[in-house]
Parts: sequence; structure tokens; C-alpha cells
Amino acid sequence: MKLELKNLSYTYSGGTTFARQAVDDVSAVIREGSITGIIGHTGSGKSTLVQMMNGLLTPSSGEVLLDGVNIFSDKKTLRDARFKVGLVFQYPEYQLFEETVAKDIGFGPKNQKLSPEEIATRTLEAADFVGLDRELLGKSPFDLSGGQKRRVAIAGVMAMRPPILILDEPASGLDPVGREEIFGGLCRYRDQTGATVVIVSHSMEDMARYAEDILVMSDSRLLLSGSRDEIFKNADLLCSVGLDVPEVTHLISELRRRGYDLPDNIYTVEGAEAALRALKAKLQREGATGC
Amino acid sequence: MPFIETKNLSFTYTDEDDPQPVLHEVSLSFEKGEFVAILGRNGSGKSTFAKLLNLVLEATDGTITIDGKSVHAELSEAEIIDLRKKVGMVFQNPDNQLVATVVEEDVAFGPENLGIEPAEIRRRVDEALEIVGMTDYARHAPHKLSGGQKQRIAIAGVIAMLPDCILFDESTAMLDPRGRAEVMETVEKLNREQGITVLLITHNMDEAVRADRVVVIDDGRVQMDGTPREVFAKVDELFALGLAVPQATELAARLELSGVPLTPVEGADAVENWFNT
Amino acid sequence: MLKDITLGQYFPGNSLLHKLDPRMKLILTLLYIVTIFFANNLITVAILTLAAFLLVPLGQIPMKTVLKSLKPLRWIILFTTVLNLFWVKDGKQLVDFYFIDIYSGGIVYAASMALRVTALLAGTTLLISYTTSPIALTDGLEQMLSPLKKIKVPVHEFAMMMTIALRFIPTLIEETDKIMSAQKARGADFETGSLLSRAKALIPIFIPLFVSAIRRADDLATAMECRCYHGGTGRTRMNRLHYSLRDLFALLCFLLFMAGIIALRWAPLPAFLGI
Repeated sequence: MKLELKNLSYTYSGGTTFARQAVDDVSAVIREGSITGIIGHTGSGKSTLVQMMNGLLTPSSGEVLLDGVNIFSDKKTLRDARFKVGLVFQYPEYQLFEETVAKDIGFGPKNQKLSPEEIATRTLEAADFVGLDRELLGKSPFDLSGGQKRRVAIAGVMAMRPPILILDEPASGLDPVGREEIFGGLCRYRDQTGATVVIVSHSMEDMARYAEDILVMSDSRLLLSGSRDEIFKNADLLCSVGLDVPEVTHLISELRRRGYDLPDNIYTVEGAEAALRALKAKLQREGATGC
Repeated sequence: MPFIETKNLSFTYTDEDDPQPVLHEVSLSFEKGEFVAILGRNGSGKSTFAKLLNLVLEATDGTITIDGKSVHAELSEAEIIDLRKKVGMVFQNPDNQLVATVVEEDVAFGPENLGIEPAEIRRRVDEALEIVGMTDYARHAPHKLSGGQKQRIAIAGVIAMLPDCILFDESTAMLDPRGRAEVMETVEKLNREQGITVLLITHNMDEAVRADRVVVIDDGRVQMDGTPREVFAKVDELFALGLAVPQATELAARLELSGVPLTPVEGADAVENWFNT
Repeated sequence: MLKDITLGQYFPGNSLLHKLDPRMKLILTLLYIVTIFFANNLITVAILTLAAFLLVPLGQIPMKTVLKSLKPLRWIILFTTVLNLFWVKDGKQLVDFYFIDIYSGGIVYAASMALRVTALLAGTTLLISYTTSPIALTDGLEQMLSPLKKIKVPVHEFAMMMTIALRFIPTLIEETDKIMSAQKARGADFETGSLLSRAKALIPIFIPLFVSAIRRADDLATAMECRCYHGGTGRTRMNRLHYSLRDLFALLCFLLFMAGIIALRWAPLPAFLGI
């Protein structure tokens, strides 16, 4: 399913404060079946942007097109959009409420008015996506560890099998293993259902590892958008708006400054290793002929 | 004599049906003025360790000595308060540790509990806000501040009690990169300029690198203890414990470079050396 | 959205009203309420309402905000007005249309009732919630009620509870908003269906909210303990309250104003304005 944003703007009129433009004229196309990252620091408008993508917030102007249809065109389309675009908020574990994990995961499918059999299948399937032990399904969600709770909450939205799944900071506060488990689950969901996954984050390292396309938000506007390679070429611009490029990118740019001929789109340790080995081999060849 | 010393410290959560051991015979000592990072996965027992040091929990076994005073069950309220004053705590969730509806009133909360003279409280509050760089926000409402600002207020509230040591229990985990940078800058400043002993509990490697010493806890046991360079040299062991290392360190390990670079610049130096051999 | 609720929120500032001692503001508010009930004709009620709105610039609060805070009460005001309009059968009959009878007394009574409610709300919110920090207010209450400590009333504990409640109301409101959005994103429907099904739809909001409130309470208790909180004994305060000349002046002005209003009870006013 194709998701397209056309000149989206949102102004908060907020009771006591002055009107504030949270999103300003953003247009973008989210590629079907991609893992797309939306990055920006707190207050850059990224959270407001994703809440418009599934119709929780109504834009002040502009359109959100799902396969070419504006989701705000009528009430029914809007309600359908909620099911087509699944949204997982930050710290989703705070929304768990059912007696058992299985029931909690099944809450969304139940609201979709699916049959009990279908709900059961979806629940198992979603638990598998996020790598949740099936033995946990009968437990109370409140007895789980933090990382497990997070995965239950994400499974709760996956069980609705949205063609587009959006997550706001899905891994925040988790340790490296916990992060891996979450992102692994998201990749599995995309690979097995062909859905589009949109990840909102302020961690450039996670973006570098998992996002194929990236939108960069800054000061309510879309600063950059494109493939991961294209985005990471702009390391200096990213730093200037307060985003942190991965350490390894800093390391490579330091070497480039020192005159080494290295590519400008390295953002993972694996990539850096390969590039440095290649350069070392090249330097050795040149050294050999030079003598 | 170390400022804080624990000997064979153990703790077991007493849940009726299944008692869960969280800490096993942890023996550690921290000198005055040290900046120590305590590294471990979620659920490794590092937060329990913090709660024991602040007398929120009581050890199942083993001893704790703080500034020469030993911690035991028969301490009077005055003695407990005196110990808590020495070791301040800053917690993870910035929202759940601010008591008052005005920033400066919140900072004053600790000294007020200690029964300090109003004029002296005023002086301490102003100074604490100055140290964390929040003087301009003295009359603001905490719930309208950013996460990083709230944490700095929480830090000011602890500094105003003039502690010798501050324990940060994953105080940056819920913050964005900007908030994290603000808090880390404050933490370093407290250690370098105010001479406050800092125990920083975290699972973030970039923060641990900035400490003088890193202690790795896993499964309730001390697994490693040394300078950041000594600890991060053990890349494979850390990965096995479910932790990460700085990217420069990981890259150097993959390329089998000599030395343990911790920062991008050190990494670049190591790579350059490697090119020249 | 829930965030728009401004009733009972403090606006930091440095105006004359902000600077008054909270205890004085409490006293003045009590006196103001008493005066409202003393006012027995449309003119005095109108003066009282006007006086409340004169406090707006004095407290440096934007007029828009004050009017907005009154908005949720428009139905109550409308209801009492309509009720009085049709039920009071004093004075001259002005309308006689089938079952609708409107008397002049009804109009006067309805108008003054609407003004009274407005004056009551505008005056108290301005004097108390908008210009007094909740902590100053609780301090004021605590000090005013501290003689009760002698008869073992836990005044400090009540004040502390109030402070914490005030501190966490905005946080919990924000949280409710967030949980509602999250459950809506999972297809929960709070707007349609029978009363029972709508009540049931609230479970996914209340349980997480409750769980979170307990967790916050637990965290806060630990944090307070770590900051050496051990009840009210031996505790000092950074800001001690003391009355200044300003407070005395405010009291004198108000007493004069009150005397004037009460005097108007006996003023030779046109009878039809009486209520």
C-alpha cells in the first residue's frame, strides 16, 4: 500500500500557548514495502507527522493519500485508515490492560470484528513476529519484563496486520539486546507480510542499521529525504541540526580529513571495516610499486 | 579508606512462591572523587545495587560501609537521613521524582527536609540551579520543561543537600540525544569541578567511556572492573553479556588493530598506524 | 482535547495579585464569596462581576484565557438562566404564549444569577488558581490551619498530599491523552454504542492509567525518601510567608468595597431590580 503525504501542515492552537506550527508543508512518498526511518530531535514535528498519517490528528492543510485516496475525505475512510496504518506510540507497554498477554494482543483484531478463530491465529502469528515465547501468552502482561511488555504491545498492533506499521521510538530505554529483539521483529514483519514499516527515532545508529529510506525532520520541516546512502552523505548538515551521525561515520570523516581516499557514505561498522581493508590493500599495492 | 565499600553484598527479592536472587556477593569499593560507570543489561541487578546503597532496600546478606559508617537494620532515623544525605540519587523517569510545582521549590525540598535555615536554603538552591545551568527557569513549572531540563532540576535538588556522592540510576535512559548530552555534561562538571563522587548506572557505552572506571555487572555478579580501556578491550566478552562497545573499539577489534581506541579520533589514529605498518 | 482544560491552573507572574500573601488571598476570596451572597440587586451583582474582571489586568492574565476557562461552564450558566427565566413569576408579565410565561422578575433574576455564577468563578479563579502557585496556596492553607496541629489534625500531611496531587494532575492528564490515542490506534471506539458499551470502552484507558499512577506513586515515594523526607517534624521552609503592607492595603480596599456593596442593599434603587 502506497502512503503519500502532500503539503501536510499542522498548527497547534493549544489552549494557553500561542499557535505553533508543528508540521510545515511536508510532502513525501513512503515506498511500499520499505523500512523507512523518520529522524529528528524532540520537537522537530516527527511525532505530529506520524499521528496525521493514520488520522489521529487532522492536518490544518494538505492530504494523506493511501493508494491515492485522501484518508480525510470522509468518516468511513478515516476509520478504515486507522486499521490500515497501525501506529505504535512511544513506551507502548503503558497501554497494556488485559488479563492475559493473548487477550491484549487480540484487542485490536477484536475491534476489527474478526472471528474468534481468526483472532487466535493473528495472536499467535503476532507473537511469533516479535519473538515472544508462546508460553507467555497465558500470563498477565503486568508480570513480564520491560522488554517483553514492549514486544507484547507492538504485537498488539501487528495482530491487526496493518499494511503500514508506524512506530514511535520503538526501542527507547532498552539495552542493546532488547533493541535487537525489537528491530528483528520489525524486519520479520516486513519480510513476511510485505508491509511498509516506518520507524520514528532519534538514534542515527539504529537508522544506519535498519532504515532503507530516511526522512529527516528539522524545525517542523522536511529537511532531507532519500535513500540511506544519500542521507548519510550529508553528515555535516545532520550534525548542524543537532542530530548525531554514528561514531563510525565520524571516524571515517576524520580519516578523510587527514587525506585518505574513503567513500563518504559509511555508517556501519561492517561497512567501515570493508572500506578500510580495501584501502589498506590499495595502499600496500601502491607502496609495493612505488619502491 | 574507600568512601563506599560493599562486602559480599547479596539481595534476594522475597516473593512468597519464588524468591528471586538478584545480587550475589558483590564486593566493590569506591573512592572519594571517583567517576565510576556501572554497566549492565536490563535486569542485571545494577538498579538493586543502587537501592541498597541508598538504604531503600535492605541487604539479605553482606555489609555496606558509607564514609566509615556501617549500614545495618538498627540505624536510627537520624542516622539513616545522615547517610542518605551523603549519597544522593537521581532516577530514570524525570517526571516521577519532582515533588513541587515550581522548579526552585522542588530544589528546596531536600534541604527543607534536613531542617536547614531558610536563608541558607535560598543560597543553596540558587547555587545548585547555577551549577546545572537552570537559573533562568527557577520560577517555571517542571511539567513544562524538556526531559533533559527536568533531570537537571532533579540533579540540582540532590546537589542542594550537599552530598559527597551522587548515584545516577539510568538517568539518561528516557532522554533524547540532546537531553542526554545536557545531563552528561552536568555529571562530568559535578565530578570535575565540585569533586562529587559519581556512580553512573547505565547501559549506554558512550556514557561509560567518559568515566574513570567501569564496573560490569551481569546476573547479579561483578564481571569486570577496570578503566574503560581495560574493560572495552574485552569486546567479545561484552557482546556475550549482551552489551555493546563503542563503534571505534568494535572496528579496531574487527581489524585487529593494536590498542583500544574509545573515540572516533583515537580510532582514526589507530587506523592510520595500521596503514603505516 | 483534555490538554485544553485551563481551569485551576497557575500562570506564573509578578503582578500585584501574584505578590499578595496566599493567606490574604484566601481571606479575600472568602470575603468575596460572602459579598456575592449579600448582593441583593442586579446593580450590585453587576458591580461585583465587573470587579472580578477588573482583576484580570491587575493579575496580568490574558482576558482570552479567563473567558476560555469559563467556557466549559456555559451550559450550567445557560441552564440556571433558562430555569429562572421560566420559573420566577414576580413582577410584570411580559410574555404569555401558551405555556411560556415570562415575568420581568424572571429576567432580572435570571440575569443576576448568570452574573453571580460568572462573578463567583472568575473572581475565585483569578484570586486563587491563576495568580497563586499551588504550592503557595498549600503553604498558605498549612500555615492558616497549623493551630489545628495541636488537636492532632495532620495538617502537614494534607498539605503535602495536595501539593503532590497538584504536581501530578497535568502529568496524568497528558498520560490519559496518550493512552486514549494509543487505544484509538488499536481500533477502540469511545464515541459510539450504548451507554454500557461506552462505559466498557473506558476499561482500556482506566486500567493502564491506574497501573501507571501506582507506579508513579511508588517511584515518587522512593525519590522523596532518598531526599530525606520524613514527615513534617523538623522540616523548615525556604519561603516563609509574612504579611506585608501590600496585604493590609488590599484588605482595606476590599473591606471598603464590601461595605459599599452592602450599603447598596439599602440604596433607593428602582424596585424591579431587586432580587
